[in-house]
Amino acid sequence: MTLTLRIILIIASLFSCFLCVTRIKQAKLKIESSVVWLIGSIILILMSIFYNAVEWISAKLGFMAPVNFVFLVVIFFLLIQTFMDNIRISTLNEKIKDLDHYIALKEYDENKKHKEE
Amino acid sequence: MKVLIIVPAYNEELNIEKTINDIKNNTEFDYIIINDCSKDNTKEVCEKNNFNFISLPINYGLTSAIQIGMKYAAKNDYDIAIQFDGDGQHQAKYIKDLVKKIEENKCDIAIGSRFVTEKKPKTMRMLGSNLISIAIKMVTGKTIKDPTSGMRAYNKKAIKMFVDNASLSPEPDTMVYMIKKQMKVEEVQVEMKEREFGESYLNPIKSMQYMTNMFFSIIFIRAITRKNK
Repeated sequence: MTLTLRIILIIASLFSCFLCVTRIKQAKLKIESSVVWLIGSIILILMSIFYNAVEWISAKLGFMAPVNFVFLVVIFFLLIQTFMDNIRISTLNEKIKDLDHYIALKEYDENKKHKEE
Repeated sequence: MKVLIIVPAYNEELNIEKTINDIKNNTEFDYIIINDCSKDNTKEVCEKNNFNFISLPINYGLTSAIQIGMKYAAKNDYDIAIQFDGDGQHQAKYIKDLVKKIEENKCDIAIGSRFVTEKKPKTMRMLGSNLISIAIKMVTGKTIKDPTSGMRAYNKKAIKMFVDNASLSPEPDTMVYMIKKQMKVEEVQVEMKEREFGESYLNPIKSMQYMTNMFFSIIFIRAITRKNK
């Protein structure tokens, strides 16, 4: 792993940590959802500091270059994140639909009462 | 038996009046129009004619419209709910055949099918219909000749399933789910007309999407439905 890559990784993860913390302070991000990002950036920092370990693991696993291993870890992390987001969106969708139905049925009942009076 | 006809309507200002008059003249059953947040004057037409209708504040598509209809049916203790298109393709005179089939206790779900006694024409659309039929046959062993028909009658058990399970849509893959849950599905011969006004929801791209969704749902998701003990 080159020094440049290590520096980039450290800067990027520090930046994402900083972003997470400030957004939580501004109450734009829930603590539960920020934990994942914090853990992600900590892993990145660890990988850039202990690059010897990364080189050892990637050699053991048969990677051409340690950087590939770093990328793979990042890609897996992002894949899981998008999948989780997908699930969250589906749940939200269902909830909005339920609200939609609730409002419509309530309106229907009110109109009916109105007519009867 | 209390029967409810659910008429989902999206942008059907030109067809809805005719459909409801058809229902009123040919049956004595209750009906409910589900106005799925139409952009045209469907709601105004319903209000003007004093139709019985529910108006959804957000457009969520056919599945949601049928689901709220089922919720209404369950709430008001209906025994049979019938899905009936608001675009004038379905004819109300066949509703009583569907109801009769369920009343005679022959089945839980009756499908208004175009091809029980009639032959299927060989068009692109029917090729899609055939593919779905084959998939259903493979997964459940049951032959449904007109799986994409939008005219179906559900009994109380099926209504309850719709209310309890939000993933069920009024589509062929739900038929697979129901058959796997040991519900009896039968077909009744009906005739359908071409739509007169307005645009069909299915254009070629959407048809392809629909086919792919149905196929994957039937083969990979509904096929592994667990049987009731």
